[in-house]
Amino acid sequence: MTNEKLLKLLSEMLEDNQINTSEEELYDAAADRYKKYAKARKVLDVPSPVAIVYPKNTEEVSKLLKFCNENQVNVIPRGGKTATEGGLENWKAMTIVIDALHLDKILKIDPYNMQATTEAGVELQRLEDELRKIGYTTGHSPQSKPVAKMGGLVATRSIGQFSTLYGGIEDLVVGLECVFPDGHISRIKNVSRRAGGPDIRHIAIGNEGSLCYITEVTVKIFKFYPENHKFYGYLIKDIETGIKVLREVMVGGYRPSVARTYSEEDARQHFYHFYKGKCVLIFMAEGNKNLVEATCKGIEEAAEEFKDGILEYVDSKLIEEWFNNLNWSQQDIDDEFAGMLENDSHSGFTTEISADWETIPKIYHNAINRIRDEFPRAHELTMLGGHSSHSYINGTNMYFVYNYEINCAPEDELRIYHHPLQTIIVEETLKLGGSMCHHHGIGKYRNEWTKEEHGTAFYMLEKLKEAFDPNGIMNFGTIFPQEEGLKYQK
Amino acid sequence: MKIICLVKFTPDIENFIYDYEKNVLVRENTRMVINPDDACALALALKYKSKHPETVVEVVTMAPLSILPHVQDLIRRDVDSAAVISDKLYVGSDTYVTSKILAKYLMNQTFDLILTGTHAIDGDTSHVPSQIGERLDIDQLSNIIRVDEQLLSLTSATVDVDAEHSISTYEIELPAILSLQKESKYKLPYVKYVDIEKDVSDRIQIIDNAMLGFDQSEVGIDGSLTKVSRTYVKKMSKNDRVIVKNDEAGIETVYAFLKEKGFV
Repeated sequence: MTNEKLLKLLSEMLEDNQINTSEEELYDAAADRYKKYAKARKVLDVPSPVAIVYPKNTEEVSKLLKFCNENQVNVIPRGGKTATEGGLENWKAMTIVIDALHLDKILKIDPYNMQATTEAGVELQRLEDELRKIGYTTGHSPQSKPVAKMGGLVATRSIGQFSTLYGGIEDLVVGLECVFPDGHISRIKNVSRRAGGPDIRHIAIGNEGSLCYITEVTVKIFKFYPENHKFYGYLIKDIETGIKVLREVMVGGYRPSVARTYSEEDARQHFYHFYKGKCVLIFMAEGNKNLVEATCKGIEEAAEEFKDGILEYVDSKLIEEWFNNLNWSQQDIDDEFAGMLENDSHSGFTTEISADWETIPKIYHNAINRIRDEFPRAHELTMLGGHSSHSYINGTNMYFVYNYEINCAPEDELRIYHHPLQTIIVEETLKLGGSMCHHHGIGKYRNEWTKEEHGTAFYMLEKLKEAFDPNGIMNFGTIFPQEEGLKYQK
Repeated sequence: MKIICLVKFTPDIENFIYDYEKNVLVRENTRMVINPDDACALALALKYKSKHPETVVEVVTMAPLSILPHVQDLIRRDVDSAAVISDKLYVGSDTYVTSKILAKYLMNQTFDLILTGTHAIDGDTSHVPSQIGERLDIDQLSNIIRVDEQLLSLTSATVDVDAEHSISTYEIELPAILSLQKESKYKLPYVKYVDIEKDVSDRIQIIDNAMLGFDQSEVGIDGSLTKVSRTYVKKMSKNDRVIVKNDEAGIETVYAFLKEKGFV
């Protein structure tokens, strides 16, 4: 099929204003924040999609997917465009982006049953703002909150900064509606728990647009008690001390909303005004008064237990101020974009992994040491460190953070810097049994390790793809490795 | 047009770690880099070549053979060839002898233009280009911050020179030696990803004393008449760090600082 023919057929299904063929916006839709620098410098090496379409309801999504499935048109589902791992990047010439722009209604806020239902294109911030008006919160607060949309958050297994208390999005989603390539609409009802076979919510949650298109989600909501917020900050001897205190708090059964520890290098960029060259450990407790009091006691006891590694207490006001300015807005994204046009630099990259308590420090040191020893451009790194920011009873995550002077052509940057760095981190993680992606998703640039990530269980994932997307039209290259995509990766 | 670029590799002193307590430079793990002024000169040559593909660019450097990887890196940026002048007899040569050695090599080369830097970050005497010009009997001009590429021809170049309080424009007959400043901001192109491991060894010629034929007494320490009376490490002081909040007082502090320094 030619592009013209595709556009003609789309125009028979949608109104003209639902089809976007602006060259500039198609270029923007060709890649996500993984290729932010190359995109800013106008040197993207991937094809632009043929069109961005904006369905107004689930039926239109269904019609579009069925059409694409029958005509071998690749589909990239899109929400708030905050993807960082290539999940929104296009690898096929015949592609349309289905954008959730008009799926923008908050359908129901139900404080009695403690849940809220929205369409996929509702910004998390908008839902949060509505909930705050009546004293509630979603409990979900990724840094991308002002921009990210509900459908995308669910599709990528998002996590928020308060996840240690509220959980990741997978703990928050009660039910959802999604559409499969053959046009079938599935609605998973909203109940408090079920034992009706496998939990099929998880086929949609985290599918990254490779199996289905999420059109509606229902999430839990929580009472919000900002007056009870308590903050703790410590300068600590090393990152191991931080991880030990985090573990002590978690295995004690406490659920602070924030529990984080930073390496010296990472602390410098977040807490330059008080870190004094040391590692940093921070906590936040929130919720009802009794719960906060108990959590604070747990934090204080854990800190006391490891007092030999605690060098100094930090004024809690400094921690509170930092939290209040942590999220990045569309303005921040635009500012970074403008900066990349003028300078050979950007705000850096991250790779987030997870493992159990005893393994995480090993992965951290193995990866950092290997990068310093093996990465040919280690001398060009301007920052290399990490932090643990999401903890569980059996382990935690590690968010490797790095930046570098970009001494190469913009189109080569990822191959020369980010990907080799990410490769070392992923290899060291998988070697010790951790998960190579804690919350950004696999996207297209970690798909080379999807099989290794899942081991023998990859069979289950592969069968899902075969069953739900037999023609392979859903987000080609995302999660599932494709030979055709190698030219963009290697 | 054949352009020869004279370049020098220097320790990356701009990224030295300075021990403020002992007042010394920490020299361990220091990297070698192309001298920034020379990099601008080469960048201009490559920029001109990118617009005039018939242009031939040769890099000439006098250095120990340990810098070969850096020379290879330059070749991969579209330099046609390189001559590395290297001989143990040349170790310890002062600027006069260095000029003599480089000039002897250049006398036997054909070229329309020699581009180089004005200053070297590890020495800063700026003698070498003018001394080479003298020996080759061609004109030399320093502190160039712009070369008019439209007016550059086989017979003349029009250049802007930083004369401290003003910018002067000169037309100079070629062949000549033009010494650029890093303020010219010509930027070296990057090595393409596919060329990072490219074998370019056949484009590098090693020139030793067997080819240049100096007597031992003419070069190296023996031939260098410069007497160094004293060397010292420039003292550096650590700037105080002031952290301000994003409020009226903070903004006022930053504004006052920028004003004091003449930025606003």
